[in-house]
Amino acid sequence: METGQLVQQLTQHDGASDGSVLRSNVGRISITREASHSFFSTLKNDFGFDHCSLISAVDNQTGFELVYHFSIVDAAGQMLEVHIDLPRDTPTVDSITHLWGGADWHEREAYDLMGIYFIGHPDLKRVLLPDGFAGHPLRKDYVYEIHEEEW
Amino acid sequence: MSRQQVRGNPRMRKGLGSRTSDPATMMEDPPSGDWLTLRSDQFLNWVDDAVYNIAEKTGIRDVVNRVTRPIFNWGLRYSPWPLHLGIMCCALEMGAAGGPDHDSERMGVVYRSSPRQCDILIVNGPVCEKLRPKLKTLYEQMADPKWVIAMGECAIGGGPYWDSYSVVAGADTFMPVDVYIPGCPVRPEALMHGFLTLQKKIREKEPGYFLRR
Amino acid sequence: MAEMWIHMGPQHPMTHGLWNLRIKVNGETITDAVPELGYLHRSVEKIGERRKYFMNTTLTDRLCYASAMTWTHCYCLAAEELMGVVAPPRAQYIRTAVLELQRIASHLMWLGAYLPDLGLITGFLYGMRDREMFLNLLEIPSGGRLLYNYVKIGGVKRDLPPGFEAKAERVMQTLERRLKEYENLYDNSKIFRMRNDGVGVYSASDAINWGITGPNLRSAGVPFDLRQADSYDAYPELDFEPVTNTAAGGGSDCFSRYRQRVDEMHQSMDLVRQALAKMPEGRVMADSVPLRASGEAFRRTEDSRGEALMYLVGDGSDRPYRWKIRSPMFTTVSAAPHFLKGYKVADVPAIMGSIDMCIGETDK
Ligand code: SF4
Repeated sequence: METGQLVQQLTQHDGASDGSVLRSNVGRISITREASHSFFSTLKNDFGFDHCSLISAVDNQTGFELVYHFSIVDAAGQMLEVHIDLPRDTPTVDSITHLWGGADWHEREAYDLMGIYFIGHPDLKRVLLPDGFAGHPLRKDYVYEIHEEEW
Repeated sequence: MSRQQVRGNPRMRKGLGSRTSDPATMMEDPPSGDWLTLRSDQFLNWVDDAVYNIAEKTGIRDVVNRVTRPIFNWGLRYSPWPLHLGIMCCALEMGAAGGPDHDSERMGVVYRSSPRQCDILIVNGPVCEKLRPKLKTLYEQMADPKWVIAMGECAIGGGPYWDSYSVVAGADTFMPVDVYIPGCPVRPEALMHGFLTLQKKIREKEPGYFLRR
Repeated sequence: MAEMWIHMGPQHPMTHGLWNLRIKVNGETITDAVPELGYLHRSVEKIGERRKYFMNTTLTDRLCYASAMTWTHCYCLAAEELMGVVAPPRAQYIRTAVLELQRIASHLMWLGAYLPDLGLITGFLYGMRDREMFLNLLEIPSGGRLLYNYVKIGGVKRDLPPGFEAKAERVMQTLERRLKEYENLYDNSKIFRMRNDGVGVYSASDAINWGITGPNLRSAGVPFDLRQADSYDAYPELDFEPVTNTAAGGGSDCFSRYRQRVDEMHQSMDLVRQALAKMPEGRVMADSVPLRASGEAFRRTEDSRGEALMYLVGDGSDRPYRWKIRSPMFTTVSAAPHFLKGYKVADVPAIMGSIDMCIGETDK
């Protein structure tokens, strides 16, 4: 499917907006947090995006933004970038591990370093930092301190 | 000293702590008939003390030291076995130094996988906070005499990650370091030079005592 | 029999880096496994936010030290996309050539690390010997043995010196000769086959779902290669098809992963030859590279270990606002428990070795 056509079809989904084409095989779309669950199911089951490349969390100071990169494993290598805005005080979103197994540790990493909570994740705990670590260091308001005590 | 006192005295139990040549804290011979009641570590301590004291008092220790010191020292110098521990980029250069082109094995450098068999801990990368306790444990698991080589900028002072929230500012903040090898990455030749420097250090500083305390 | 947990790592001959694999065993059989990472977490993404765009190539080089060139290249592509810079054609061809040389060096490193895991110490010596040739080759244009800092935003640092083609050709001919020897040695070795055949099997659909990419995915028979699917630099003009392998019973096992990497080395040599032959003349650096950037951009490349993706957000200053790295191994190792279950403890080095762990990029 052409990327423009794909983005157009996806924009029909409720909660979706801002559809655009970034490169010939890369589309971009924004989705609200409430509609994300059904949107991702559609993406996986109807549009064949079978590979979850990356989940990045961006701290926008006013809120968080989750950026998902999905792609299709075939010779065309089509990709879709999905943005979800999250409020700063309740950074929660539905987990997508039941759809893409590879998203598991990306979600754990986003939780670890950014403090995004993924509802429905089977085992949401820190992955890179040790369990007792205080704070989420990739947030912009994280205060550097020298850790004297041992982890 | 009665048996009760031997059991109850924490200094005696501590093993290394009780072994001094200071007569005030030295373990006395147990009264006859009490030999069998000594625990094995107490017995070993007692034997150690006895052998050490006899060797010291009669001057045998000095003689033996003078004779064996060069031998021990030579042995230490030419069999520095490092721990097979790769932290980051410099570990690959450590591997390259052990590879056929540079072949550090001709200097007796044989990588071992168990800290119990090793003399050298090569810190070849940044020490992260999560790693620090493990590295300390590894260091403590190694048998004396042991040395630490800080390989690369990361191990010396944090290197490119000096301002990171999780990297320790150098290995020497929590363990004694003997040789520093600058470079990012350290070339295999530089690592070999580091081994040679360590050899020199061992020759000058390491007494190689018989019956070390 | 009672079950128990065994720690393999952080210091363990199996791990090739610092990570910890906790396995639950029932007798000799693995019933569960939990990989633990973070012993090398240097927070590259955070400190990268305080460095200027062009400074970050130092950090990306050190992301995966076995494959420094490809990681820096991925970052530079993303930054070029963000800044709207295009590298001149000659730089693109040079990049292609050095990337493929780096891929060979990385695969040789893997070969040298994998074979001792199976008890073949000679393999380490062979692998290191041949890798050294490629490091020397890459040292000629870049000046670095291991970390090159050669690919820059907008091109490459300097042009290839005269005579590079001839040297590369000589080295590649040597490797081709030796690879044939090694293939004979390993493929026909009964012990090697016994440790590899049918060990660590996963199917293609599982691998896609778990997010496994790169040689580990192609060894299951999926012809997915980002050099072709999301092409960059000079790859569209070169003539190649993704190589694939499959295990005897379908899917991917340790042996097909070994074959895959050896085949990729052959393919990479072919690509280097093509790129060097078609090399156009001209500049190697774009005319002007802006210091500041805004907006967001990402690019993905085929790293030696799989899909590398860098996502950059700029806020108009000369430093990235957010920099996110997708590491192929991070995802692959998260799937490790699935294909470790049911095998014996002695298979762990073979399975974890065959997926080519690199902890530097995994822990970031
Ligand atoms: S000193 Fe440089 S090459 Fe060595 S581990 Fe640190 S960053 Fe890597």
